[in-house]
Amino acid sequence: MTLTLTGVGYRYAGTSDAALLDIDLELRSGEVVGLAGASESGKTTLCLVTSGLAPRAIGGLLRGRITIDGTDVDAWPMHRLSQEIGIGFQSPASQLSQVAGTVFEEVAFGPMNLALPRDDVLDRTWEALETLVIRDLADRDPRRLSGGQQQLVAIAGLLAMRPAHLILDEPTAQLDPQGTRLVTEALARLAANGASILVAEQKTEVLAALASRTVVLEAGRMVLAGATGEVLGDPRLPELGVTPPAAVRLRHAARDAGLDARMLDEVHAGG
Amino acid sequence: MVELRTEGLVHVYRGSGVRALDGVDLRIGPGERVAIIGQNGSGKSTLVRHLNGLLRPTAGRLLIDGVDARRLRVAELAARVGVVFQDPDRQIFSGAVVDEVRFGPRNLGRSGAALRESVEEALELTGLAGQESRNPYDLGQARRKLLALASVLAMRTPVLVLDEPSTGQDRAGAARVRSVIESVAAAGRTLIAVTHDMELVAELFERVVVMRSGRVILDGSPSDAFGGRRLDLLRSTNLEPPVAARVASRLGVPGAVTEADLVAALLRRELPQ
Amino acid sequence: MARSGRLSEATAGRGLPDFLGRPGPTAYHRLNPLTKATIATTTAIAAVALGGLIGPAVLVAVAVVGPAIAAGVLRDLVRTSVLLALPIAISALLVNLFFFPGGEGELFRIGPIVATEEGLGLALEILARIMAISGAVTLFYLTTRPSDLVIDLERRGMGSRVAFVANASVQTVPAMVERAGQITDAQRARGLDTEGGVLRRLRGIVPIVGPVILGSIAEVEERSMALEARGFARPGRRTLLWAPADRRVEALIRWGLLAALVAVIALRISGRLP
Repeated sequence: MTLTLTGVGYRYAGTSDAALLDIDLELRSGEVVGLAGASESGKTTLCLVTSGLAPRAIGGLLRGRITIDGTDVDAWPMHRLSQEIGIGFQSPASQLSQVAGTVFEEVAFGPMNLALPRDDVLDRTWEALETLVIRDLADRDPRRLSGGQQQLVAIAGLLAMRPAHLILDEPTAQLDPQGTRLVTEALARLAANGASILVAEQKTEVLAALASRTVVLEAGRMVLAGATGEVLGDPRLPELGVTPPAAVRLRHAARDAGLDARMLDEVHAGG
Repeated sequence: MVELRTEGLVHVYRGSGVRALDGVDLRIGPGERVAIIGQNGSGKSTLVRHLNGLLRPTAGRLLIDGVDARRLRVAELAARVGVVFQDPDRQIFSGAVVDEVRFGPRNLGRSGAALRESVEEALELTGLAGQESRNPYDLGQARRKLLALASVLAMRTPVLVLDEPSTGQDRAGAARVRSVIESVAAAGRTLIAVTHDMELVAELFERVVVMRSGRVILDGSPSDAFGGRRLDLLRSTNLEPPVAARVASRLGVPGAVTEADLVAALLRRELPQ
Repeated sequence: MARSGRLSEATAGRGLPDFLGRPGPTAYHRLNPLTKATIATTTAIAAVALGGLIGPAVLVAVAVVGPAIAAGVLRDLVRTSVLLALPIAISALLVNLFFFPGGEGELFRIGPIVATEEGLGLALEILARIMAISGAVTLFYLTTRPSDLVIDLERRGMGSRVAFVANASVQTVPAMVERAGQITDAQRARGLDTEGGVLRRLRGIVPIVGPVILGSIAEVEERSMALEARGFARPGRRTLLWAPADRRVEALIRWGLLAALVAVIALRISGRLP
């Protein structure tokens, strides 16, 4: 399934400035696309617009075209769109439904809302838990899990909707290094199995590990786009408010000091 | 200038019976810059809450300039130890940025010109000057974190404790946090940060305290904590040293923990002396 | 995660996990939640409708204590229902004992205030009613999970969104309490004095209540977006994973209890029952 944004712009309700301008983006099957940019550069807005929550859930003015395999999705209601595109947010706890006493019920929440036959609901729930390797959390109280575990539960809840595409807005922003590792590894496994993901992150290391292509936003516009390695190695990143991955920083610092950076690359290749 | 000292500090949570602090002996002198690192459950958050009296010891004691902290109310301790907690939305209540920043110093009894000065300075340091009348909820999450920081900075406490200052920050915000740390240190105030941002620790702190299961297992400089020999100790608590330190140890340059150190060390090796 | 071994064994298949919809420990627990709710409601109303002391006392014995013994919750019931009723019971006792109008049989006196026989009689009657109501409600609460009742009602046709609000409200309280605790810590760290006198504590209300509410509002927007992204706004019914069992016998019991209640009220009104 290909999700295409053409000439997309967006303005939040009650504001006069555009939060997004001239966005042309194609999300293809089986690809992980990274999204980087300073805070308030439009990453979250782009995630909301791509998932359809903007304008359906929050109002505002949308321009341009959004299509799925060529079909305009303008008239699709949110519950239909949510079966094609799932969206996750950075705060683990606020994505919990608050009405589920167990992780199983939490993950089943979406399919239950879709009024699918009971067996389908059960199958999808088990499948989502197994895909993220959190079957052993099934009977736990979601509110008592660590931040990283809660994020995995939230993603499982999205996967149970069987979306063709996942959009994740800074999934590791509020997590500690362990939680970040947990989520990054889970996403890498999803990617290896052919998942289609758009992931926004401040931690460019995460993008380097997951995304084949990366887009950088500034003031609501796309200013860089291309293969992740090239984009993250671009010297303009710092002035765009993005911190390059440590490996890139070291390479640049070494090169600026006149050192041969190749030895650093070899070390990095070793892990 | 304030000296903090804990002697055999123990904390057992009454409800769960968890022994979060198991005999901590720590001395932090005036003007020191200390980073406290450790896995979840290592006791670092519990320790922070002892420093300003929100929690009281089950056994052992905390001395502030030689006085047992138990003798002081939390509101009195707040004048000496300012703590900035992680979630700004669990403290912001004013309709305007400036009112939020005035809250702390006013509680400490400041008024008039002294109040105005400390508020302006705090806003300046955190890059919020000019945003005085804005509603905090119109600022993004990252800037609200800076607002929470400003509101405690304005109290001008001799000791400043930061709980996870860089989580959820973008590049500009992280740079602000760094410059705040540098200014506070330059003014001679004591700075304690609980953090998992190892790069920050390596670059700005002279002392690293590593905690595990309620105890201090290492107390030394960043090179001690992140240098080659101690990597196993760190890894035993599920922590990773900063990338530069890892690369440095691989290249046989132990002791370099920041990118700048590493580059400098490599330069020394490459250029004929 | 000590349960994981059992979990993978028992639910190696793909069916409903065994930790959902687990039946209660006793037959009374296993009654349908609506049945238990009906028992509680009819008992409480009948206690008020019946006159005298004997009626409510018998009700307490038969509809509260009896089932409590059967369900094995007698001790918890006594402790909780007494605590629940204590404030009202004490004031009812005092008011009626000492201030019963027209009371003549003097029992004892404290200064100018007289405790009368008639007053004691009325006080005991009121106490019996209070115990019946408090006992009935507590019995329901001790033998039924609130979420089970909500699921049952939803199965019978209650709207999904109403069910969501009912469940979410119950869950929100502990979360809010924890939030309030963290907020209090942060404000005290900024010098808010909560250890002083009453006036000082009052001044602390806005800095604490404010973020509890404000923060919740900010979270609500993100929370409702997350819900919508999971099909929450879809009109119509939703699938339930399981529902509490019901039997024809229980439906008869429920109607029977309602009929009995109506009869009691009618007899009372027409004067046939004291």
